[in-house]
Amino acid sequence: MSAAVRAILLDARELQSIFLRTLYWSFRGKREPGDVARQCYEVGNRSLFFLMVTMGFIGMILVFQSGLQALRVVPDLTMLGATFLEALVRDLGPSIGALMLATRVGAGIAAEIGSMVVTEQVDALRMCGVDPVDFLVVPRFVASMLMTTTLILLAGLVSFAAGGATAWFVFDVQPQTYMNLSLLDRGDVIIGLSKCLGYGAAIPIVSAWCGLTTRGGSEGVGAATTSAVVNSSLAVIFLDLLFSGAGFVIFDG
Amino acid sequence: MIEVSRLSKRFATPVLRDVSLRVPTGCLYGLVGPGASGKSVLLKCLAGLLRPEQGSVSVCGATLGDLDEVSLQAVRNRIGMLFQNNALFDHLTVRENIAFPLRRRGVSDESEIAARVADRLAAVSLAGFEDRMPGGLSGGQKKRVGVARATVTRAEVVLYDEPAAGLDPVTSQKIFDLLRAEQRESGATVVMVSSDIERLLTVTDRVGMMLDGELIFDGTTDEALTSTHPVVKQFVHGEVDGPL
Repeated sequence: MSAAVRAILLDARELQSIFLRTLYWSFRGKREPGDVARQCYEVGNRSLFFLMVTMGFIGMILVFQSGLQALRVVPDLTMLGATFLEALVRDLGPSIGALMLATRVGAGIAAEIGSMVVTEQVDALRMCGVDPVDFLVVPRFVASMLMTTTLILLAGLVSFAAGGATAWFVFDVQPQTYMNLSLLDRGDVIIGLSKCLGYGAAIPIVSAWCGLTTRGGSEGVGAATTSAVVNSSLAVIFLDLLFSGAGFVIFDG
Repeated sequence: MIEVSRLSKRFATPVLRDVSLRVPTGCLYGLVGPGASGKSVLLKCLAGLLRPEQGSVSVCGATLGDLDEVSLQAVRNRIGMLFQNNALFDHLTVRENIAFPLRRRGVSDESEIAARVADRLAAVSLAGFEDRMPGGLSGGQKKRVGVARATVTRAEVVLYDEPAAGLDPVTSQKIFDLLRAEQRESGATVVMVSSDIERLLTVTDRVGMMLDGELIFDGTTDEALTSTHPVVKQFVHGEVDGPL
C-alpha cells in the first residue's frame, strides 16, 4: 500500500474517532456551566453580521441573474420568487451559508485548538483526566449545530428579502407576486433543515480534527487553519451532494 | 516506582533508542542532556502521553503500553505534570487552573477545593493571585502556578519539564528549592528535566544523562559530579572543550 493511501486511511480513522467520541461525550460528558453558551456566542453572534451581509448580496445577485436569464427564455417573471425560494430553502441558503461559516468558524476552531496543542494545553487536559474531545470539541459541536441552523434561517430570510427588493426595483416584480410559496413543499424544508444540521455538525468536527493534529509551532497552527477551511468546505460540498441525492430519492425529486 | 525497559520511539527520525531506566519510589531524579536529546519525549512517555514503539514503561505498577485509553487515564490520575511552557489554560483564572485537575477527578466539595487551592498558592508564594488570569502573570509566576497545579492532586509521581526555563538565576534556584521541599513533604517520585544543570544537581538524588536518544549515564548525583565519562564530565562541569 502506498504511503499516501496509508496516510489517507489514518486520517479517516482519526476523523472517525473524533466524530464518535464527540457523539459519545455529547450525551455522557460533564459540561462546565456556560460552555455551550460561550461557543454559541462565538459561532452565532460573531458570524451574524458577516453572514447576513453576504447572503443579502448573494440573494440580490442570484435574483438579478435569474431574472435576466428568464427574460431571454420566457418574458414572464411571475415565478421568479417561487423558483428562487425553492432553490434557497432546498440548497442555496444552507450550502452557501455553510461555506461562509466554514471559513469563519472553521478557521477559528482550528486556530484555537491548534494553539492549545502547540502550547501543550491539550496534553495538560489529558493529564487532568479530560478527553480533549469532550472539553474542546463537544461544546463547539453542539453550539455549531444550533447556531448554523439559526443563522442560515435568518440569512435565508435576508437573502429572500434582498432578492425581492432587487426583483421589484430592477424587473418591476411586485412583492405580492414575488412572495410565492407554491413551489415549496415539505421535502424542500426537510432537506434544507437536514443540510443545516449536517453542515453544523461537520464544520466543527473537521476543524477540530485539523486543530488536534497540529504539529510544530505557529507555522503548524497556520497550516492547520488553512487545512480546516479547505476541508470544512469540502465536507460541506460532499454533504450537499449526499443530502441532495438522498432528498431526490426520498422525496421523488 | 518508575521502570523503563528498552524503550524506543521515533517520529521522522529515532528520538529514543533502547532506553532503560529505574527511578525508585520517593526519589528525585534529574534528567539532563543537550537540546533534542529526547528528554521531553521520555517524560511524555512516562506520562502516557506518547506510546512506546518498542520496550515498556511501567509507572505506579502499570505497564502503560498495554493499557487502553480509559485505563491509561486512571494511571494519569496518579501523575502530576508541569509542562515546559506551563500549559496554563488561558481562559481560566489562577484559582480555576489549580482547581481544574481536582474538579475533573471528581472532587466536588467546594470547601475542600478552596482549601487545597489556597494551600498550593501559599506553598508557591502566590497567595492573593487567585483571580488573576495567566496572561497577566510573569514567567516565574506562571511557572509557580504550574507547579501548584501539578502538585494539587497529591500525585504519587510528579514530572517536571524544564521547571526553570527562561527564569533569572534567583527565581530558578527558588523554584528548584520549592520543588525539592514539595517532594520531601509529599514523598512523591519525581522526574525533573532541566538544562540548568548547576541548580538541578543541588536538589537531585539521582541523575540520568541523555544524548541522541540514548541514556548514556544513570547514577547518583555524586557519581554524576565525579564521573569520568567524557561527555558527562564535559556537560556536568560546563566545559567548552570535549566531545560535545
